[in-house]
Amino acid sequence: MSLAAEAFVSQIAAAEPWPEKATLYQPLKEDQILLSDSASSLAVQTFLRMCGLPVQVSCCANAEYMSPSGKVPFIHVGNQVVSELGPIVQFIKAKGHSLSDWLDDVQKAEMKAYMELVNNMLLTAELYIQWCDDYTATEISRPRYSSPYSWPLNHILAYQKQWEVRRKMNAIGWSGKSLEQVYEDVSQCCQALSQRLGTQPYFFNKQPTELDALVFGHLFTILTTQLTNDELAEKVKSYTNLLSFCHRVEQTYFKEHDGESQSGSSRHSKGSLP
Amino acid sequence: MAAPLELFCWKGDYGLPSVDVDCLTVLAYAKFAGAPLKVHKITNPWRSPTGTLPALKTREEGSISQPSKIIIHLRKQKYNADYDLSAKEGADTLAFVSLLEEKLLPALIYTLWIDSKNYVDVTRRWYAENISFPLNFLLPNRMHCQQLEKLRLVRGDPVLEPGEQLEKELYRDAFECMTLLSQRLGSQKFFFGDSPSSLDAYVFAHLAPLLKIKLPNGKLQQHLTSLNNLQQYCTNILALYFPSDAREAPGRKTHAQPDSSDLDNEPHKRRNQVLSVLFAVGAMLGYAILTGIVSIKRERPQLKNSGHDDGDEEDED
Repeated sequence: MSLAAEAFVSQIAAAEPWPEKATLYQPLKEDQILLSDSASSLAVQTFLRMCGLPVQVSCCANAEYMSPSGKVPFIHVGNQVVSELGPIVQFIKAKGHSLSDWLDDVQKAEMKAYMELVNNMLLTAELYIQWCDDYTATEISRPRYSSPYSWPLNHILAYQKQWEVRRKMNAIGWSGKSLEQVYEDVSQCCQALSQRLGTQPYFFNKQPTELDALVFGHLFTILTTQLTNDELAEKVKSYTNLLSFCHRVEQTYFKEHDGESQSGSSRHSKGSLP
Repeated sequence: MAAPLELFCWKGDYGLPSVDVDCLTVLAYAKFAGAPLKVHKITNPWRSPTGTLPALKTREEGSISQPSKIIIHLRKQKYNADYDLSAKEGADTLAFVSLLEEKLLPALIYTLWIDSKNYVDVTRRWYAENISFPLNFLLPNRMHCQQLEKLRLVRGDPVLEPGEQLEKELYRDAFECMTLLSQRLGSQKFFFGDSPSSLDAYVFAHLAPLLKIKLPNGKLQQHLTSLNNLQQYCTNILALYFPSDAREAPGRKTHAQPDSSDLDNEPHKRRNQVLSVLFAVGAMLGYAILTGIVSIKRERPQLKNSGHDDGDEEDED
């Protein structure tokens, strides 16, 4: 959207209150969704819960194709469709809800920087492990990604996605890395997050911000998703303050619903935190 | 540690030690950490040990090309500019480097390599002038394609085309990133106190080309110059750590002043054009005269006239 159109849309968005029937779309939870998409989707859900905005989660096999930017998750609110956490935060800000207005300039800069750190390192590592590690790609990613489709479309789509992700890794210089190095990068990223969190309840002490939502989304998904081995989860578990942070956010925002756990339990994931 | 490490990087210009962002990162870090590097400033990436620039040639581990790996190697050799940083500051470094790479670098690539006016007038011209024959015909275009491909993959859009829409989005992210950096820097001399660290190397490497290379389409530059503390920060680092390169800047500017757009090319081009036209006209005339299509009638010598008339008659037949 051009800047003028965006300004116009956000004005319209600000005028309407949050509707009852806002929907969040993601791929099928049981069979199709992969680690990286699940993490992004959980981050958005957590953010919306932190803002106190109700949303229904709808699982569709073609969510990726419905999304305006090609990435999941995306939300359908009133007349607008917005995808990815960054634009969603902007959109919700236009509606008058914000988690980070009370931060000063330096803190805002740090928050944005740490969000980019998570996107740059954690998300890229997740994509690498899913698609560039041959074993994981063959055992888990390709079968899951193409499960709603019949032969031969499933093979074509799966290989196409794998090829696309591998080219991206090549472009940003990650293709030369070994799996061990990627785990090391994840560990470094977690260490940075752990340092920043320290002993505070949230990253900016008293109140959660979108950074907390993003970090929770990724870390919780890593801890509760079963991959070919547990090394990724082990890397995260070694930082106890991050573990207790995840517990805290889960208790505060996801345990209101008894029975069905909203935070992404499926055969793929192990349910709640260990 | 005894023998100095060798670094191959792009030549410098416009008052910078190097025109390439990755090379600048490594050079700046080496200066900050006090690492003795033997720097080879070349213009032929095929001459470097790894085929790309920058490249660090080490004795034990072969050659390394990525700036982050080079910095890690220098750290292992005990040249560590981040020694005094606290753990939190180290975490902040990682975060801000990610911010730079996600928000500012795409816009930088766009403004130098994809924006048509900038690319043709400045970037391609510089590389074509400085790379030796015959690579100067091949490499700039190839680098342009590589950068466009990289931008497409990073944005996740395989049919990305340069245009106003993309420019607005990229520049908006970049403006925000620069403003955030400016807010974080405040009135300090460097990001973490009084001595520079690796974050300063990265920020300097991304901002200095914007500041120094004069581009026709300079929106990013304008925004950067409006942030006084960042501008001061870059000029400070240049003056403190790269004084010899900064002094070369005035010389380049005088070259650039008198209508640099076609000064080198035009005289040769005109001369070649005139010469080739003259040659063509001369060849056509000569052919015409020799075959008799055009006859030169002379008054005095009778013999020659009859010869020409005979030639004409033959042609008519």
